[in-house]
Amino acid sequence: MNFKLAIASLLTVAIAGGVQAQALPEVKPVKVPFKLLPSRHMLIEVTINDKGPYKLIFDTGAPLNIVTSRLGKETGISKRGGGGIAALLSGGMNQVEIGTMQLGDVTAKKVAAVVMDHPTVKAISDAFAEEHGTIDGIVGFPFFARFATTVDYQKKELLLSPRDYKPGNYIEDLTKSLSAAGENAGRAKVVGPAGLWGFALKKAKADEEPGVAVTEVYEGTPAAKAGLKVGDRVLTIDGRWTDSLGDAHVAVSLVKPGRKADVTLTRDGKPMTLSITPVVGY
Amino acid sequence: MTRWWLLALILSLSPAARADDATPTAERVKAAEKEYAIPYRLTDTKHILVRVKVNGKGPFNLILDTGAPAVFITKKSAERAGLDTDKDGWAATDSFELEGGLKVSGAKARVADLFQLEGMNGMGLAGVELHGVVGYNVLAKYRITYDFTADKLKFVALDFTPPAVNAKGKDNSQGGLDLLGPAMKMLAGFMGIKPNFAVEPRGFLGVELAETDGKLAVKSVVKGSPAETAGLKPGDLITGVSKAFAATGRESGIDDLDRLKAFGRWVEPMRAGQKAKIQVERGDKTETVTVEFGKGL
Repeated sequence: MNFKLAIASLLTVAIAGGVQAQALPEVKPVKVPFKLLPSRHMLIEVTINDKGPYKLIFDTGAPLNIVTSRLGKETGISKRGGGGIAALLSGGMNQVEIGTMQLGDVTAKKVAAVVMDHPTVKAISDAFAEEHGTIDGIVGFPFFARFATTVDYQKKELLLSPRDYKPGNYIEDLTKSLSAAGENAGRAKVVGPAGLWGFALKKAKADEEPGVAVTEVYEGTPAAKAGLKVGDRVLTIDGRWTDSLGDAHVAVSLVKPGRKADVTLTRDGKPMTLSITPVVGY
Repeated sequence: MTRWWLLALILSLSPAARADDATPTAERVKAAEKEYAIPYRLTDTKHILVRVKVNGKGPFNLILDTGAPAVFITKKSAERAGLDTDKDGWAATDSFELEGGLKVSGAKARVADLFQLEGMNGMGLAGVELHGVVGYNVLAKYRITYDFTADKLKFVALDFTPPAVNAKGKDNSQGGLDLLGPAMKMLAGFMGIKPNFAVEPRGFLGVELAETDGKLAVKSVVKGSPAETAGLKPGDLITGVSKAFAATGRESGIDDLDRLKAFGRWVEPMRAGQKAKIQVERGDKTETVTVEFGKGL
């Protein structure tokens, strides 16, 4: 694979924090109750391909949806049985597409999942089977990224509002990053601003204080117009800490041209906040 | 290549708490429903990353994980933050501050090297170094909205103190998966992967651009910038760039439908000090300028 292409895609994935799609018109979010297990996992009921409901764990830390082979067979999403560790270790990753996943009044179609009898899922299932029955998998990113998802532990409910966000193909993306990592052979990743701001920064090696120092403000640029001055100590850009040059560049990489960003700083020891709107350019 | 290494990643990052833990019961305290906008990034592994300063040290890269019962932080990070770990592996923090200005009071952390994180860090898969996860004991204090079309997460402080989590020692529910962390590290070695999580600032050009009538135009040139030194002028139409443009798979020319994006991809890997050629149409002439990328943003 083309190594430079891979890097380009790697960077895109790495710095594309959020705004990839427009929000859909706001409708009232759908409430989905969950149970909290003693292990603090969130248990939800999901109807899959009109079968069930099945009990699954809702997990923001899971980049994939995972279902047991039992569920896979019952709902007709996997022809093959067995999704044990041995199968996976030999490369038999059983990636499938679930026709419909329904949580309360919310339905998601064509959702990627992996059929696998995950030992942690089994352990949790076994521990709480008496009270909750069998637990059949994990609901992760490819499902909840399609929604604005609010988790409320106090009310024990999820609120879901559809969003036009495409979770992407996890396995493809990851293969690309891995390939890039192999070929990049230890070089630092280059990260730059998404727009033109008009100032320069420095941070001395021995300087361990928060923030970075402004060394230059270019005339006529958004930074100059906003009132940034040489000698200012920039503490955050768009809410992100800028304790190093790298951090500052990551922060500006996430602000699209035309979007106003707050910049907090100290000038002669006094805290200040400026608003800078980067323009299209580099 | 077999994909067994994916196994460690498809896991929820969830060391299960012990089953004999007490069933949580809510305990109420008074607190205002204050709202916070928390910056986040998605890692290459589709994890939701936030940054946290612990005892003023860091920032540490932590993943928001409802599949974890508590905050987990690597041993090395705990050491950097000066945390004292008790015999059960827990450490109290003096301060636990999320990027975006949210200070979590009384946050406790489990100090442990999770095999999932070790594996990902060994191969550099997430694209950033991971130092731990934020689980139930902190997450439950907030009503959190995850919306990937927005650039911040919304945290609303709840009038709610989550019941304490008392998981002790090691659990044995990983079914041998814990061996994958070290295995992935070894594999990374065989594949010649040396993860480098450092970020190098991209080089600075100093042009404001505009796309009009399908052409990419220099709208303004920043005074004193590398672009000015190179001789770019407002009104120049950018028609080509030097072979460094092969980074997008082509030899030269910006023939994408979206010229602005194509130019952005060309600029993306440029380091300060790097030289490149830009071809422009100026009036009825074609000029080629050599630009040396500088420092700035």
